[in-house]
Amino acid sequence: MSDAILWRGEAARAAFRAGYLDIAPAIPATLAWGLVTGIAMAQSGLTLPQAYGLGLLAFAGSAQLAVLPLLASHAPTFVIVLTALIVNMRFVIYSAAMKSEFVRLSFRQRLGIAYLIGDFPFVLFERSASQHERRLRPVYFLGIGLSNLIVWQLASLVGLVAAGRVPPEWGLDFAGMVALVALLVPMLANRPGFAACAIGGAVGVALDGLPAHAGLVIATLAGIIAAVVAERLPPRVA
Amino acid sequence: MNQALLTWIAIVGVSLTTIATRGSFVVFGSRLQLHPQIEKALRFAPAAALGALVLPALLLRHGHVDFSLANQRLIAAFIAALIMWRFKSMIWTIVVGMGIATLMRLMS
Repeated sequence: MSDAILWRGEAARAAFRAGYLDIAPAIPATLAWGLVTGIAMAQSGLTLPQAYGLGLLAFAGSAQLAVLPLLASHAPTFVIVLTALIVNMRFVIYSAAMKSEFVRLSFRQRLGIAYLIGDFPFVLFERSASQHERRLRPVYFLGIGLSNLIVWQLASLVGLVAAGRVPPEWGLDFAGMVALVALLVPMLANRPGFAACAIGGAVGVALDGLPAHAGLVIATLAGIIAAVVAERLPPRVA
Repeated sequence: MNQALLTWIAIVGVSLTTIATRGSFVVFGSRLQLHPQIEKALRFAPAAALGALVLPALLLRHGHVDFSLANQRLIAAFIAALIMWRFKSMIWTIVVGMGIATLMRLMS
């Protein structure tokens, strides 16, 4: 059996389908989050091409939301870019965690995969990739990532155009938060997962005052370390 | 330089941070050999990142930890978490979470 990556054929189609079926339950949340981002961009004073250029090129909801006030107030370019970099820093951790699955792909294929790495695609892929053969995992990730991309881009386009017609008190941004909670809950069933969440969350709360969500990266690292420690502790005596 | 051009430069810069971070290991460092212990530790990155994203957003109101009933989003998220725990359905978790948040907002 060859270990070349499969992109075509029945098995690849099935893995791609599994990807979009896995992310389907999160679609309402992605829709709401994209809509909220689109609305915020429309109200930031960016022109429509600028706003959509940002959405399409950056494709990073939380970084976009973080830089909008800076763009609107004409902050120095390096401050804007640095802020985005800090908000996006958690993706370095995701990228490190996923890299072994994509090592055999060409440079351009890896570039395309990297563009699709967001919070939802990362968590879903890490959860279920092991259920698929190694050579099918890239296409499984594409099923997740492309569905996520299309839904999010369409929703943020709708948000851009329809801004002003969706009352902010609907609290659509909360839908994304609830979806993240839903992803988190099954991870709490084992001790390292629980420790990662509890310590990551506690450090995140403590460092919330840092600018540009810098606390997020430190909190994530603290959570990972806590999980490693928790895994090494001796099992509880019954 | 005119403002429109500066804005576009910033937009391109922001976009480069996306590809630089997401591509850091997948694109540019895929030949780097991570220590096996680090690879193992990174299995816990999803739980840690989700905790760091979710808990501050739910617990903090106006910069302070708020466990009171006035923190409606925390209550809605907690009930949503129970739904997920019991029924393992993301779609119902979102429906119930949003429903409770909306109800509480309308009643308060």
